[in-house]
Amino acid sequence: MPLHRRLGGGPLLLAVCALAVACTSTASDQGTPLVVDDFGDTVRLAAPATRIVSLNPVTTEVLIAIGARERLVGRTHWDLGAAEVPDVGDGMQPNVEAILAQRPDLVVLYESPANRGAVERLRAAGITTIAFRTDRVADLARVAPVLGAAVGDRPAGITVAAAVRATIDSVAALPRRERPVRAFWHIWDAPLLTIGRGSYLTELLEAAGGRSLFDDLAAPSPQVTLEEIVRRDPDVILAGPAGAEAIRRHPGWAAVRAVREGRVLVVDTALVGRPGVRMGEAAAHLRRLLDDVRVP
Amino acid sequence: MIRAESLGLRYPGAARPALEGVSFSAEAGRLTAIVGPNGSGKSTFVRALLGRLAPEHGALWLAGLPLAARSRRDVARLLAVVPQREAPAFPTTVRDFIALGRYPHGGAFAGTTAEDRAAVATAAARADVEALLGRATDELSGGEWQRVRVARALAQGGRALVLDEPTAFLDVAHEMACFELLDALAREGMCVLLVSHQLNLVARFADHIVLLHEGRVAASGAPDEVMRGDVLERVYQWPLVVTRDPAVGAPVLVPLRGRGAR
Amino acid sequence: MRRPVWILLVAVALAAMTLALAAGAVPLPVGEVWRALFGGGDVTTGAIVRGLRLPRVLLGFVVGTGLAASGAALQSTLRNALAEPYLLGVSGGAAVGAVLSVVLGLTAPALLPLSAFVGAAGAVVLVLGVARAAGGRADPRMLLMAGVVVGAFCTAAIMVALATAPEGTVRGALWWMMGSLGDARWSVVLWVSAYVLVGGALLLWWGRDLDVLALGEEAAASLGLDVERTTRRVFLAASLLAAATVAGAGLIGFVGLVVPAIARALGARGARATIGAAAWLGGTLVVLADLVARTALRPAELPLGAVTALVGVPFFLWRLRAAAAR
Repeated sequence: MPLHRRLGGGPLLLAVCALAVACTSTASDQGTPLVVDDFGDTVRLAAPATRIVSLNPVTTEVLIAIGARERLVGRTHWDLGAAEVPDVGDGMQPNVEAILAQRPDLVVLYESPANRGAVERLRAAGITTIAFRTDRVADLARVAPVLGAAVGDRPAGITVAAAVRATIDSVAALPRRERPVRAFWHIWDAPLLTIGRGSYLTELLEAAGGRSLFDDLAAPSPQVTLEEIVRRDPDVILAGPAGAEAIRRHPGWAAVRAVREGRVLVVDTALVGRPGVRMGEAAAHLRRLLDDVRVP
Repeated sequence: MIRAESLGLRYPGAARPALEGVSFSAEAGRLTAIVGPNGSGKSTFVRALLGRLAPEHGALWLAGLPLAARSRRDVARLLAVVPQREAPAFPTTVRDFIALGRYPHGGAFAGTTAEDRAAVATAAARADVEALLGRATDELSGGEWQRVRVARALAQGGRALVLDEPTAFLDVAHEMACFELLDALAREGMCVLLVSHQLNLVARFADHIVLLHEGRVAASGAPDEVMRGDVLERVYQWPLVVTRDPAVGAPVLVPLRGRGAR
Repeated sequence: MRRPVWILLVAVALAAMTLALAAGAVPLPVGEVWRALFGGGDVTTGAIVRGLRLPRVLLGFVVGTGLAASGAALQSTLRNALAEPYLLGVSGGAAVGAVLSVVLGLTAPALLPLSAFVGAAGAVVLVLGVARAAGGRADPRMLLMAGVVVGAFCTAAIMVALATAPEGTVRGALWWMMGSLGDARWSVVLWVSAYVLVGGALLLWWGRDLDVLALGEEAAASLGLDVERTTRRVFLAASLLAAATVAGAGLIGFVGLVVPAIARALGARGARATIGAAAWLGGTLVVLADLVARTALRPAELPLGAVTALVGVPFFLWRLRAAAAR
């Protein structure tokens, strides 16, 4: 005999309510699985996040792009794109207390061994924490939908990522030269750092019709010597304003043909600074820079 | 030549003064010895002569002028001090080592003058180290090293020579040789002042002995006056007897078995 | 030291510099190097030799000279073969001075060595003060221990500065602290050379005083030397040398430790000969170490301080054993 006939009306109603409550509490204890983050942990979110601390400028950009700006309650000290959002300190080995003071329900970090401790402490405090590695172009397509889902609007995240991808693809589809422009990208002066295969900048450069002088190295930002650059003889040098200044001052750079022949291009560091939502514009910017160069 | 007048001296932060009311003089042509137990202030006196410690009371005089009135260089031209122990970190030749004794006489770039060379040669001859001039200082035996240091002091060309425990690490032969050298120097007119433990040798060679006890002069005078059993026993706090050695005709100190004796 | 040895030292130094100018990621024949030095040769070779390698080699030589002379002088003063600016906290103080200077924006090549010198002199004052407080006025062992303590303090101060520095600059600061000739602009080469020349000239001027000081406190006082004043002066001159090298090339250790020992092993006696020989040897050592640093792990560059340590530590252990065996 069905349960409800046996129990009668009142007890039945009570039982249904109790069951409903039980189901709800189960849902809020566990939530639906959101993602397996880059630390390998399965992260669950019960309800859309309303107070988000973003410790990675890329994720901050994405959250703003999907319209979640008001939900941001914390950013890193170096993330000046959302100046009105409270500054909670460093993004690497973050100050957990400063983060907790913002009473977030979601914290997003950069995936790195240095942040493992912070992740564990935040989770122990009951806060949903996700760690993403954002190094390459494809990472945006991975991260944006998750962030979208976290605020209850997954399609927005997908749209943002797709738009960036489309822009990059359109830049890549433009007519190309016979051979890619060999570019040395000056990232940092002391130590002398450039981009290797592991960096999104190398990918953007390739989309723009160039290639990194050191794309034989796997690391994202390998250290190299000036002599090696001289030996490899790049067609062009790309640098930020500070880097271009350092190149101008240092007599050793004159040994590089591209410097002697005036082919040092200044890139807009605001555009290319991170693998975020402006990557499409960055690729277009690079393409324009390279187009203007007459390669011997 | 060297005169202490009611000299009082205290190490910084010390409760007791290291020297108090010390008065004596060391004259040219004489060998004067300062003796006394450990901690009686013997080495402190040498440090005062070196200008390392300033007197609290009294004064030190050198050749008629207060020590403080002379520049260190001036003092070094008149008075040479051979410290108790010396171990240069880096070896050099004996000749160069002795030549450093001419430092008070030259300027920063003063080359070696004929006078310098003569002084070095004379000093080396006097101290009997001519055969060692080409050797390295880290290759010398204890006795040779001692004589080389005395040679350097002699090269300074002064009229007074002060030695702090010159025979502390020497064997009998070298000890005697050292005392004989000092004695000869005194005979030649040098004012020789020596700090020593070796009461018996001091008694044989010194013209004047100053016995220090807890920073004060306990006795001062010719060896026969100072080397007395009662005085020495009180100062050294050990049973002893002073006899006369028939072989050398000088007072000899003989310590007796002490309190722990059977 | 005999004349043939001096000639050998100079010859080896020139050979090392020529090698450093010729070798690298772009190997150049020696003949081309000589031509390029005097303005000839093709554009690229000229640019590599004159613009890229020459300032670096010259800076390296001057840095080596300064460090070696500083070490030789400190060893005479402290009567200890373990003394050298890095281990005595002098270089550490210079680094603190330089870091503060960068923070305040005073990075001009003329000013940075001075700021470093202020830091180094500060470290010296601390060392002398700690030694005096511990009871030994100019006792070498006290000075050495005080030097180690002050050096540790300076390292801590730099760590604090790094902890509060912007994220991106930490790597640059650490790189600088490990020593590199990468910043070899001509203005840097000129100013570091000027300070090293001044410091070196002062030490050579005081050579005789150093010899007397090396005899020991009491012996030196007996010879009429003002021990306190001479010790202070030598420390300051040695600090100026160390500070100039730190400002130009970061922290490089062991050159001041190892090179004077080699100079003495070659027969240098007396402060002037030791400092002079150490100068040539030190320059040679750093030039060669830099050659290794920029070619050993191509395309990356090793920190210069790491190379000198890799050479310096085994050498020192070997000398330590030889001394113990004697």
